[in-house]
Amino acid sequence: MQPDDPEDIDPGLARERTRLSWVRTAIAFAAVGSVLLRRQPVIGLIVLAAAPLIWALGHFAGRETTRPDLLPRRLLLVTVAVTVAALLAMIAALAGHPPASLGQLLPLHG
Amino acid sequence: MDGPGRLRGTGGGTTSSGNDRGDPEHGVPDAGTEPDARYTLANERTFLAWNRTALALVIAGLGIVQLLPPFPGVPWGRRVIGIPLIALGAVMSVTAYREMRRNQMALRRSEPLPRSVLPQILAATILSVAVLSGAVLLASAVR
Repeated sequence: MQPDDPEDIDPGLARERTRLSWVRTAIAFAAVGSVLLRRQPVIGLIVLAAAPLIWALGHFAGRETTRPDLLPRRLLLVTVAVTVAALLAMIAALAGHPPASLGQLLPLHG
Repeated sequence: MDGPGRLRGTGGGTTSSGNDRGDPEHGVPDAGTEPDARYTLANERTFLAWNRTALALVIAGLGIVQLLPPFPGVPWGRRVIGIPLIALGAVMSVTAYREMRRNQMALRRSEPLPRSVLPQILAATILSVAVLSGAVLLASAVR
């Protein structure tokens, strides 16, 4: 007998929606990093680096049924990343005279 | 894409096999049964949606502080408007995590989901920032 909802057999579409949600979250991190990059290149690069990590975390979506304890740990990483990004943004917003370029912060040219 | 056996979830409600009673060794509370995988995934998506809202607030705050032209006569105006938005982003992310844990626990116990405080926090902050923006504009016009 066939169930009314195809997802009763396999909730693959729900898992796919969740993975797309992770991708959108990674894009949001990239957007924050890009805005920060304009005035605070180092901070911007740090936040930008979080985007691929969030994207990678999304690949584990729906795999925790054998280890339910991993779900909150994975989501805790997102919370930590967003909180750190907000704190870095706060520092950037409070900084009086931000450096004009990355070269002013790092001795790239000797 | 993973095969059908990856996820449990063969019907509504909760399932009754596998990790039914949690796993104290791995820090899972010994309460309730593992819910249908679709409910867990929906809870995860809600958490992610609130975090994207938090990141949008951070972007809005940064945009106000860094990109908006300064208010004439009110040099602190942009920071007064933008910094609360950035702070709300951090608060929202932490609150979303706590609510996700509570919701997951309610799902495990087949209880009604607790009410979320995040919409009220978001509405109150947006209203406060709007009032603050009006005050800054007024101060700038008067000076």
